[in-house]
Amino acid sequence: MERAENISLTAWSGTRSTDRVRLSARSFGGMLIASACLSAILASWLPLQVSIVTVFLFAGPHNWFELRYFLMRLPARFGRSRNFFAVAFAGIFILTLAYVSLPLLYYANIWSGSNWPTAIATWNTLLLLWLGALVLMRGKQNSRRDWFWALPVTFVLCALNWLAPDLFSLAIVYLHPLVALWFLDRHLRRTRPEWLRAYHRCLIVLPFLIVGMLWQLARTPSLSDDNGLFWRITQHAGAELLPNVSSHLLVSTHVFLELLHYGVWIVALPLIGATGAVWSVRTIPLARHRRGWPKLIGAVLVCGLFLVALLWIGFSANYAVTRDVYFAVAIAHVLAEAPFLLRMI
Amino acid sequence: MKRTIVLCAAGLLLIASAVYSFGDIARPKVTPTAKEGKTVLYTSMTVKPDSKASEARLQISQGTLQSIAHEAANISSNQSMTQRLMHSSARTVMAGLFMFLAVSFAGVWFARSSQRRNNKAVAAAILMAMVFGLATVIVRANAGPPGYVRWQGLPQNLKDGKTTGGGVNIEVVPGDDSTITLIVPLRKTQNPGEE
Repeated sequence: MERAENISLTAWSGTRSTDRVRLSARSFGGMLIASACLSAILASWLPLQVSIVTVFLFAGPHNWFELRYFLMRLPARFGRSRNFFAVAFAGIFILTLAYVSLPLLYYANIWSGSNWPTAIATWNTLLLLWLGALVLMRGKQNSRRDWFWALPVTFVLCALNWLAPDLFSLAIVYLHPLVALWFLDRHLRRTRPEWLRAYHRCLIVLPFLIVGMLWQLARTPSLSDDNGLFWRITQHAGAELLPNVSSHLLVSTHVFLELLHYGVWIVALPLIGATGAVWSVRTIPLARHRRGWPKLIGAVLVCGLFLVALLWIGFSANYAVTRDVYFAVAIAHVLAEAPFLLRMI
Repeated sequence: MKRTIVLCAAGLLLIASAVYSFGDIARPKVTPTAKEGKTVLYTSMTVKPDSKASEARLQISQGTLQSIAHEAANISSNQSMTQRLMHSSARTVMAGLFMFLAVSFAGVWFARSSQRRNNKAVAAAILMAMVFGLATVIVRANAGPPGYVRWQGLPQNLKDGKTTGGGVNIEVVPGDDSTITLIVPLRKTQNPGEE
């Protein structure tokens, strides 16, 4: 029953049968390491420039791929998971709305922003409680699991968040890109188990790359943030919160993680067939099911493509403002990753 | 279910009563406090007597001066964790409340996992805590001597015309006093034979 209800097992087998890329585990590992090294070099060498180009090129498309991926993982009928998805979608909607409304209220002069740390701490607490609830609900779907530990862990994180809300938010900025690697792990486990060992070995290289970057860049002078765009990028990487750390190091590390994130969503997951044939709506269970909505799903994906194009136009017209708007709205995809990842564990 | 509701209600009542209890506490008397300095940089410093010099001089490298100026500009965001918490009691209360909940539910989890005889995770957690504790002790043991030790020889070195060096925190104090003050941490030591 549990297996039958789980997300689109047919999608797993379907993707396996439609594999067109023939790669050995060694080639896969080699590609990963080469990509990670190249990303680290580029991010260390020209952090601001690479950040601008990367967000311009990949921010929109990677969101579209995530949307397609989530649609593919949505079961045609929720069954016993109805409550789980209800809480998940309600949380994504409310938390996104709250997150976006904070800067809107500030710029509309309705809120002075004087108690910003308290506001952001409250938002972080709601996020953590939502995640904790999802973990508990997912744990209860299998009687062999005891995920009660999630509750004390959630409360510890809430306490840490209230001690330093800004730093907690910064931690989310740095940790979110790594979630993509977890998605890739779960997919390889199911679709390409023969690549899993090579993938885990590649993951071991990551900390060494990051330590190498820290070692190389720790003593570099901070980046010049004399224009509004550069200032925004350094602030996003935490330059104001960590004044004693070189902003070159912060931006480089963040750009490196972002490059990995985009690489996983745009290249690695489609490569192993996790997103199905990109152009075919029939690979999505919600569209394929006899009581599904193929037209609606198709329309959503086409709208998504328009939004990607709109984002590119926005970046071309006013990069700095579009970047701000994008990173505020993009919290939705950060939140959406949580329930879908939990469904795969 | 009823029991849970009653327990929750009792807990909330207890928390709410704390507000009223605090309401009866007299406001503490405001006592004038000394100007609080804000550390912006830690660096090293040497005190060097010079018999030929006619004026005292404070020499500082251009790089260090720029660092001080940069850190002083960011003074509001560069508060230490303790300083931030001291100025936000609501956040401290919230952190404490969540920590209390975490410890409570960790206890419940511990009891539940003991019942299920799934002690491996608990043993691993305790082992990790011990390792961290031990690591802390070791790190503390390897910590250097306190800063004032390097300054202990200053009076004698000044008499002998020798240089004395040690660590120094550069503080920015409020106000427009143009005098620069050097506070040297000297501990009174009893010479042999003195009572």
